[in-house]
Amino acid sequence: MCREVSIEVFRYDPGTDSSPSWRKYEIPFEEKNTVLGALLFIQEKLDPTLAFRYGCRYNRCGLCSLEVNGKPRMSCHSYLEEGMRLGPLSKLPLIRDLVVDRKGLFQDLAKYELFIEKNTDNTVIFEPEQGAKLRGCAECLSCLAACPKYSFGSDDFGGPFLFVKLAQLHFDPRDKKDRIEQAHSLGINLCQDCKKCYCPNGINIYRDAISTLLKVKKND
Amino acid sequence: MRVESCDVLCLGGGGAGITAAVTAAEYGANVILVSKEPLGYGDTRISMGLTSFPGVVEGDSLELFYQDLLKGGEYLNDPELAWIMAEMNPFGVQLLESYGHLFQRNNKGLIGSDVAYLIGGHSLPRSIGCPPGGGISMGNALRAGAARSNIRVFEEVLASSLLCSGEHVAGAVCFDICRGEVFLIRAGAVIIATGGAGWLYYPHTDCNSGVNGDGYALAYNVGAKLIDMEQVQFMPFGLTHPASVCGVYVGEPSLAAPKGLIRNRNGEVILSGLGTMTRAQVTNAMAVELSRGGGTEYGGLLLDLEPNLALPEGRQMWNVRKERGQLNIVRFAYGEDAYRWKKPWDVTPTAHYFMGGIMVNTSGQSSVPGLYAAGQAMGGIHGANRLGSVSLAELFVFGYIAGKAAAKECIGQKPLDCSQGQEEAAGNIKSLSGRKGLYSPLVLQRRLQKTMWENVGIARVEKGLRTALKEIEEIEETCENLKIASQISYNRDIVHTIEIKHMLTVAKLITEAALMRCETRGAHLRLDFPEKDEKNWRRNIIVFKENNNFKIQSEAVKF
Ligand SMILES: Cc1cc2nc3c(=O)[nH]c(=O)nc-3n(C[C@H](O)[C@H](O)[C@H](O)COP(=O)(O)OP(=O)(O)OC[C@H]3O[C@@H](n4cnc5c(N)ncnc54)[C@H](O)[C@@H]3O)c2cc1C
Ligand code: SF4
Ligand code: SF4
Ligand code: FES
Repeated sequence: MCREVSIEVFRYDPGTDSSPSWRKYEIPFEEKNTVLGALLFIQEKLDPTLAFRYGCRYNRCGLCSLEVNGKPRMSCHSYLEEGMRLGPLSKLPLIRDLVVDRKGLFQDLAKYELFIEKNTDNTVIFEPEQGAKLRGCAECLSCLAACPKYSFGSDDFGGPFLFVKLAQLHFDPRDKKDRIEQAHSLGINLCQDCKKCYCPNGINIYRDAISTLLKVKKND
Repeated sequence: MRVESCDVLCLGGGGAGITAAVTAAEYGANVILVSKEPLGYGDTRISMGLTSFPGVVEGDSLELFYQDLLKGGEYLNDPELAWIMAEMNPFGVQLLESYGHLFQRNNKGLIGSDVAYLIGGHSLPRSIGCPPGGGISMGNALRAGAARSNIRVFEEVLASSLLCSGEHVAGAVCFDICRGEVFLIRAGAVIIATGGAGWLYYPHTDCNSGVNGDGYALAYNVGAKLIDMEQVQFMPFGLTHPASVCGVYVGEPSLAAPKGLIRNRNGEVILSGLGTMTRAQVTNAMAVELSRGGGTEYGGLLLDLEPNLALPEGRQMWNVRKERGQLNIVRFAYGEDAYRWKKPWDVTPTAHYFMGGIMVNTSGQSSVPGLYAAGQAMGGIHGANRLGSVSLAELFVFGYIAGKAAAKECIGQKPLDCSQGQEEAAGNIKSLSGRKGLYSPLVLQRRLQKTMWENVGIARVEKGLRTALKEIEEIEETCENLKIASQISYNRDIVHTIEIKHMLTVAKLITEAALMRCETRGAHLRLDFPEKDEKNWRRNIIVFKENNNFKIQSEAVKF
């Protein structure tokens, strides 16, 4: 097997490198190899210092998201192709190479109280289908990279991931907070004329989350 | 060096770890949770989300569930733990829902008999699910539960060793992966909830990366007893190729019902009637055929599901699988015809779950004072084989028990002095960066994984087990001569080094126990002892460290 696939990978250590670079790697060809397969090959055979995240290897956990030719993708679920350029998710702070800082995510759960109250009665519950679908959000954060209005650290605009979380709680019959109100204070009205949401994991962000939360506030 | 303090330190951010941490906090403890992966990641998150819930179907009872656990476990279970599992299972389900999870309900809004599945080994339908999210929804709910409580969370931080004050566990040395920082956490009690060790068999595992048995080694190194480490559950159907998805799990034995077959490379039928067989039975039959040389060029056997398409109920099954999204990965790896069951799937068993683990009492307490365990890290509930859907329910039951007991033990106690050995342990990690030896720790991991799969995997014989022990020893020596990168942030070489040391320890425990158990029982298949030996081997195998020496002994089961 002598054919090789040539790809470029973003390398940058903000602590020590003066600027980012794109490094070229040759990966032996294998039928149906994935982008993650290539990263694992680089780590094991070519350069163990390459930093990237992954968990399940089969499009489930949501940890392996990155950008392929500038578009967010799950690396374990994208076939490897000649000439691909692999970079980190844009819009999130970079830790190193393909690894972005995800810690803000957990902090947001506490900050925006993205949980139900304690001691709810769980016996009889009717959850709308949309709510169940949104529970499948893998928290891969690809949608943030694809959103033209999101910028990290700004409280003015929550971004698609937070809107998915808010909608999921909105559909949960046990949740007592006004999530529509919350979405509006996080600038969801900016979404009205955009609809560019993108999710590689099959969540219909605009239809199932944003359009529900966009409903006019009760008092308006 | 930074030092953090708490009452209860919980290691692991999966279902068991978060439940234990949140529970300890509710009982008034000051809690720190440390997780190697981001919080909520681990096997819990990538699971199918099927959870046992006895009593939804008429005629079911806790007693019947308990009997199923023992029968499935081939009577190696710890009966007290198995009974608690049965008795508190409904509570565990409620606890998880209270964090925000929701199980599927029927049109009356209830978890009723019409939403319960029958899974191999259970005598009645009692497994409930939560499509389409499955384990993802659980992982997210657990994180929400953690965010709602006042625990402190350190993500992408791993515990590299435990610290003691005399005999009592008193904290841990930790490594922050993103910041490259070594620091200490002092604690009144430590709960190990680091999951299993499927990664010892990579790529032949469906487990999450990082599930490599750290917790077993941490506990063993401070003298804790571990039980039945030879009992490693392999799911019968894992992908064999392409390399990047090798090991990924594609289904239970029941997937093949009613007419599916397993064939060898020559097309001869090896197994039929899979619907009523347990995971261990199917895996063992496959292992025997593979050891006879019946495997394909990819090292698998052929799962032929096409005969099902001739029957209306078979076609119906295809639809159900498709709707649940279970066939997508097969399409991704093997193409359209395989997806439609028109072409057989090349499959081989894949490491899935450890029945063995840290030995605990009914409060989740190990044999070492101050040390607790919960979830897959603990052993004893399942004996020699685990029934599907019980390992998720287990997390909320035993996470709760350990969290509560650990909190009660240490609230109001003065912090322990853990200075014994702390500088040395921390120094060992600090000195790793930039080493200029010969061997990459990741490549050593691959070497160990290869020998574990070949010699301590689905089919075992004395000769192979001895080969593995030798190889383990050789890799241990090689570990003195490592080549380690010097990056500060996200230095995977350092993580791989901490891991390979733990993996070698666990590999040895598994292999020694596998060598000792001269019979075939549950998930443990000895080709040189192919029968179950009720007379001599209704016994648990216990391993531990005493005066720095490895000890192994067997004890009669507690019935
Ligand atoms: C593909 C798959 C499907 C499954 N489906 C089901 C199912 O449908 N039903 C069922 O009942 N069971 C299922 N299981 C089994 C079940 O998911 C696991 O047994 C269970 O989730 C284990 O939970 P845990 O909390 O013990 O460990 P995990 O969820 O694996 O969590 C372990 C945690 O410990 C952390 N950790 C590891 N080492 C360290 C360290 N040194 N320091 C700090 N933290 C550390 C990890 O990062 C992780 O956060 C499945 C398993 C797999 C792999
Ligand atoms: S909505 Fe989709 S893209 Fe966004 S975090 Fe969830 S799974 Fe990822
Ligand atoms: S609609 Fe546009 S602005 Fe709003 S979340 Fe989606 S992509 Fe971002
Ligand atoms: S590795 Fe889990 S989604 Fe890709």
